Formats: sequence, structure tokens, C-alpha cells
Amino acid sequence: MNFLATYQSLFDHMLVNMLLAMSQYIVLRAGVFSLGTAGFTALGAYGSAILITKAGWPPAFAIVFGVALGTLASALLALPLARLRGVFQAVATLAFVQIVLSGTQNWQSLTNGALGISGIPHSVGTGTLVLIVALVVGLMVSLGRYSFGRALDVIREDETVAVSLGISVPWHQRRAFIISGVLAGLAGGLHASSSYSIMPTDYGFALMVATLAMVVLGGRTTVWGAIVGAIVLTALPELFRVFAQYRNVVQGLLLMLVIVYLPRGVADTLIAMARDRRLRGALNPSQ
Amino acid sequence: MLMQQLVNGIVVGSVYGLFALGFTLLFGINHIMNMAHGSVFMWGAFAGLYAVIALDAPIYVALLAGMLAGGLISVVLDIVAFRPLRRRNAPEFSAIVSSIGADLVLLAIAQKVSNTAILRFPFDAFPVVVFTVLGLRIQLLQLVIIGLVVVMVFALVWYLYRTGFGQRIRAVAYSEQTSRLLGINPGPVNTQVFFISGALAGMAGVLIGLVFNSVHFTMGEPLLLRAFVIIILGGLGSIPGALMAGMLIGIVQTLSVAYIGAGVAEAIVFVSLFLVIVLRPTGLFGKSTAAMRVQRA
Repeated sequence: MNFLATYQSLFDHMLVNMLLAMSQYIVLRAGVFSLGTAGFTALGAYGSAILITKAGWPPAFAIVFGVALGTLASALLALPLARLRGVFQAVATLAFVQIVLSGTQNWQSLTNGALGISGIPHSVGTGTLVLIVALVVGLMVSLGRYSFGRALDVIREDETVAVSLGISVPWHQRRAFIISGVLAGLAGGLHASSSYSIMPTDYGFALMVATLAMVVLGGRTTVWGAIVGAIVLTALPELFRVFAQYRNVVQGLLLMLVIVYLPRGVADTLIAMARDRRLRGALNPSQ
Repeated sequence: MLMQQLVNGIVVGSVYGLFALGFTLLFGINHIMNMAHGSVFMWGAFAGLYAVIALDAPIYVALLAGMLAGGLISVVLDIVAFRPLRRRNAPEFSAIVSSIGADLVLLAIAQKVSNTAILRFPFDAFPVVVFTVLGLRIQLLQLVIIGLVVVMVFALVWYLYRTGFGQRIRAVAYSEQTSRLLGINPGPVNTQVFFISGALAGMAGVLIGLVFNSVHFTMGEPLLLRAFVIIILGGLGSIPGALMAGMLIGIVQTLSVAYIGAGVAEAIVFVSLFLVIVLRPTGLFGKSTAAMRVQRA
């Protein structure tokens, strides 16, 4: 029990990070190079935190509002984004994150500026978080297993092939992007109501890098990659407290090593290896 | 007052242009978004500063030290973070991720070295001479900066368009495969490009450090974000575009900080970046290329 109490906030943090990692995973799987997750998270977190502290909304409704905010932003952003590709998508979403960030920093009357919003009641417990994350993982796995996930894989690997197979690239990429906004908005709302206070710097460049790092480390073609990445990168700094000073060095080196030597990510590489072995076994039963 | 702010804006903007030049060069030639470019800039400023403080070097030596440090770090980045990916023909996503990784490492080392402190150049590092022209106060430093930027730009253009080295660089930029067939080894060419781009960033680092008299390990990130705006506005890979957009951003920033407030200025810059990238992805000065728009029936 003691163990649980000590690591409860870490565990909560890990669960929220899983949602963030899945939000980043779904766009990358669709071949959309979006960095917008941090921006949607900020919208979700601020939207729900303001409603809870200033308007006295019950947390559940406020979180739903945060999700709606993230969804709306991603649905609007998806329209112009479909015309861009690669680096241009990355820069456009980066601009979006910066716009949201300067909004949270400068709209003093609403967001309390750089100080952030504090005194948010802690209303989402670990149990609720586990339940929500499990539900989302289940949805994402089944979504990825059937035609939607297959279509995303084809689009990522080769857009021309996808078009020749009758898969609408903009339709699928837009859906993936909106799902990313939903999940990020949810993660933001849950983060706000499970961590007492939020600040603009929680949702800046650092969050963007961290989310990207989780998905790169774990793998960006399966849900499990995102989950593994979130677990490892949240737990790593805690396990190596001694190296707290070198936390960024470790994270940076890890990113470089993984992208160079394990470009598909740790979990995805393992999953692919297991699948290869199974297929080979099925083809040659004698071996 | 307005004219004075305009002068300040042009000076800052020309340094932004210098920084963005190296950034856009890498994109134009290697098709790489180097997310660690801001840290190269910061390390240039550090090298210049430590040359002045620790070695008591004159300011032009500090400038050279900044350029050398920036260039060398940039070459190391190429070898460690980009070359293995290029060899595998990895997608541009991988290069961005590995340069973010490199950026984290460079930042952490700088934080350790500087103890998170804001460092300053000694008061007499650059002679304070102020000219008064038509009621405008113009510092010698500002004149020197404009002069340096002009010289660097002309030298770069001359190098790229009038020498054999430049011809090879342009060949590799056009197509690495074709240039290989023609007997050009892309390896040394890329090393050159990374060195030039890093040296430009290092020089910009020392100059920005002198202008604001503050050197801090986080100084790279805002500049990198601004460089995104600049190279998109100017058109990716375009040298005159980067310079013009750099000036524009410098002026807009100085004027809006003076008249509206820094926070709103930031928002304006990024909203305009967003609008440009959505409405005119080729930038204000660029020509359209296939890489920028998806062609769909």
C-alpha cells in the first residue's frame, strides 16, 4: 500500500501520458506529421480548469467540454492541413501550438497568464484514469485492426497506392487528426483535474518533444508502441533519480539512438519480429 | 522614435536573417529541418563569450571563435545525427526526431556549463560609440553588424554561384544521385554545407549576445521558432527570401514590442506564419515546387 501511495502521482502522470502518446501515434500512423498534440492538450486543460475554478462546473462536464474544445480545434485545423505535407504540416501545427501557448500566457483575465491556474480540485482518481485509458486503448486497438487502421497503414507507406486502392487520403487523414485532437483534449482535461494546478509552460515545446519521444521510442504503427513509450519515458527519470541532472541528455541520446538503429521503435520492432516468426512457422510447419 | 525603432529592427532583423540563412541552406540542400540549429547558435554565443571572458580575446577573435564553434558543432551533428539516416534514405521525420535528440543533449550540456546563469559580455568588450545622424542614435555596433551581414551574404552568394565548390553544392542540392553519377562525392559537400550553416548561426549567436548583452542556454529556442517563421515567409531554401523575411520579422517584432507589447507581438507573428503556410505555402518570395503541395485528383 505504501508503494502505491508513493508512486500514485507518477502513475497518474503515466496514464495521462499514455493518452498523449496515443494522440501522437494516430496521426503518425496516418502519415500526418502533426505536432499539434501539445496545443490540443493545452486547450483541453485550460478549458476544463477555467470552467471548474471560475464557473463552478462539475469536473465531469468540464472535462467533456475540454474534449469538445480539442475536437473542435482539430476539426477546424484538419481542413487546411490536408493541403500540406511533411515538414509543412509540422511547421503549421507548431505555429498552432505557439498561438495557443501565447494565448494562455497573455489572456490574463481568463488564464491568469504565466502563473497558471491553481487550486483545481483533485477530482479524478487513479481508478477513473485507469478505466478511461483502458477504454481508449480498447477503442484504438479495434479501430486500428479493421479497415480504418489498414487504410492508415497504406496511406503512410505510399499515398499513390492508397489512392489506387480507392482509399480517400484526405478523409482518413482528417479522421486521424480529429481523433488526435479528441485524445489530447481528454488528456488535457484529465491532467488539469488530477494535478491541482496548470501552467502555460506545461504545454509548450517540452511537452511536444516528450510526446514525440514516447511514440518514437515505443513505435508509431501500433497502439502498444505508444503505451510502452509512455511507460518507459515517464518511469525512466524516476528510476534514475541519481541522473536527474542528465535527464535531458539521456532522453536526447535515446531519441537519436532509437531513430538511427531502431527506426520503428522498440515495441513495434518486437511485434514485427514475433509476427514474422509466426508467419514463417505457418509456412514451414516442419521447422 | 518610430525611425529609431525601425533602425533597431533592421539591425536585429539582419541578424535573424543571418541565422535563418544557415537554416534555409540546410533545407534547400539537404532537405533537413535541423531542430538543433538553435543550440548551434547558442553554443556560438557561448564560445564567443568564453573567448572574451576566459582568454581576454579581442572581439573579432570572439566572433571567429563563435563561427568556428558553430561550424564544428554543426559538422558533428551531421556525422552523428543526420548521416546515418541519409545513408538509409530515412524519411524526413527521422531527421527531425534525431535533431531534436541532439538539441536536448546540446542544451543540457550548456545548462551544466553555464550553471543556468545569464552571462554577460564585459562592458568594454565592444567600444561604445554612438553617432547621431539626423536625430537618430546609431551605435557603432549596429553599423558593424549591418556591415558584417552584408559581407557574409555576398561571400555566401559568391561561394555558391561563382566557385567550383558552390557548383558542386548546387549539384548535390538538385539531386544527390545525379551528382554522384557525375563523380561528385556528396559526403564532403554536405560537410561544407553544415559547416557554413553552423558558422552563420555561431556568428549570429555572438552578435545577438552583443546586441542584447545577454547569453543564456535557452536563447536558441525563441530564435529557432522565429527562424521557422522567417524561412516559411521567405520560401524554403531561398537566400534572398530568408534575408527579406528576417528583416521583416525583426522590424515587426521591434515595433510591436515598442507599441503593443511583447506577448501580442508573439501571437501576431505566429498567426501570420499559420496564415502564410496555409494560404501560400511557397512563402511570400518563393516559387512553387512539387515538394510543397499534395497533388490529388
